[in-house]
Amino acid sequence: MKALVIVGHGSHLNEDSSLPVYEHAERIRQSGGFDEVVECFWKEEPSMRHVLDTVESEEVCVVPAFISEGYFTQQVIPRELGLDGPVTFKDGKIVRYAGPLGTFEKMADVILERVEDLMRGKELREGRTALVLLGHGTDLNKRSSDVIYLNARRIRERGVYDIVEEAFLDQDPEVGEVVGKVEAENVILIPVFVAEGWHTRETIPEDLGLTGEVTVREDRTIFYGAPVGTHPSMASLIAARARETEHYEVVQNVS
Amino acid sequence: MSRTSPDRENVAVSSREAFAAWVGEAPEGRKFGQVVVRKLPSGGYEIRHASDAGSENLEVHTNPRDARDISKLTEAGEYRPLKSSPNLRRGWVLRLADDRELASAMNYLYPAAISHWYLLREGRLKTTSFRENAARQSGIYERVRYLSDEAVQNAARACCEDEVCLKKTLWDVDENTPLEMERGRGDIPCPEPCSVFISFARRVRYFEREEENTSDGNALTPGERRDLAALVEAAASGEVKMAREAEFEKPLNQRRMRYRRLTLLPKLRPEE
Ligand code: SF4
Repeated sequence: MKALVIVGHGSHLNEDSSLPVYEHAERIRQSGGFDEVVECFWKEEPSMRHVLDTVESEEVCVVPAFISEGYFTQQVIPRELGLDGPVTFKDGKIVRYAGPLGTFEKMADVILERVEDLMRGKELREGRTALVLLGHGTDLNKRSSDVIYLNARRIRERGVYDIVEEAFLDQDPEVGEVVGKVEAENVILIPVFVAEGWHTRETIPEDLGLTGEVTVREDRTIFYGAPVGTHPSMASLIAARARETEHYEVVQNVS
Repeated sequence: MSRTSPDRENVAVSSREAFAAWVGEAPEGRKFGQVVVRKLPSGGYEIRHASDAGSENLEVHTNPRDARDISKLTEAGEYRPLKSSPNLRRGWVLRLADDRELASAMNYLYPAAISHWYLLREGRLKTTSFRENAARQSGIYERVRYLSDEAVQNAARACCEDEVCLKKTLWDVDENTPLEMERGRGDIPCPEPCSVFISFARRVRYFEREEENTSDGNALTPGERRDLAALVEAAASGEVKMAREAEFEKPLNQRRMRYRRLTLLPKLRPEE
């Protein structure tokens, strides 16, 4: 039997953080492909520490519902799940550990689908259209911004938008600047986050003076999308990420 | 090199079967946490809130995953970060076809509980002490390793007793220092400090530092003063609105107040 374990951050305060994990898990269950699909979290139950005791399958694939490589995917998840690398033999199971979602090729497609959903039935102004990918960004972990640059480049290469820009909450280029200054009459702003939260619901709309999905300013119209991580097609990305690990080779201990 | 091997026991399978058998042996059902689980004469299983034992007008669910929605919010609509808190809502019944669905529903109501219940029964549940767990923490939780033994004891009394968590606390401060508390009467074992506890312990570490920086042991710390002020204000307004379950940074949090009861009351009533 084969199991997929999706690891989310989770929250002690609200369900925003774990909701997409549960929703994607249910979509993957419906589409088949795994005998079991199980959710686990850092801050909710079941914890990563105990989830494997609830999994019946001998073959387990763990996919972190995180956008970028970093503290969680590299330290916390392997430590809490007791993994020693891409492939771990543990309590009679073979556990394969996939990388985070944001670097995966298909991520750019999910972002574009999110844009499509946002723009359906909406009128563009005459002029240029810019897509702005918004990341958290932090001085501590360069990788969190790398994912944004990577996806911006991939989308730029497809040539669908006049301009594709990167923007961040906690580092330069800062999102307010980018949205206000990018030379386009239409600005599509997409948070590349895994879940809704305080930033997507409150700080971003407040700081940018957004009035909802569509905000009309004198010189431009801003279209604000939901986070990429809550898009239904994230589920197929998670499943694809999992299937990819089946090719992981076991690194033999040569001593 | 260890490999997957057919002779290794599959804990998830064994615990599912053992739990179903245990339930099946008791025609009146088994109480587990706040629910009663019963084998139906017609086959299949039923789970309901123990306080709904005789109720008829319950919303009927047949999908085991509905248990997640049932366990998500309290009666008052508050989010439940800890599934073993004694605040599971009432008014529903889960009718499940077989032991797989039963295990699946139980894992949403009480995540990993039947595995731990089974392992404990078999004498094979591994526990992890607070000190081992704390040594593993990193980032903002790293500081919990500086908690004194006494603070760990008080944190566990405030956070883990049956009034606030129905699990039976099996872990200790370290291998030579048992927890001195009411460990709990229920059937769900707690083999290791959970993330809610660690988050609470982090707050208790702040309290302990304030204590260390207050020269006279009987003087109130700044945090204690703030909490008292918040209490007075709330009570005077006629409505003491408690903070959410895991909002430990807010004065009117129940676990925080339970901790204050252990450490502040002796200062306020030294003669008792
Ligand atoms: S650590 Fe305490 S609060 Fe957390 S599950 Fe165990 S007994 Fe309950």
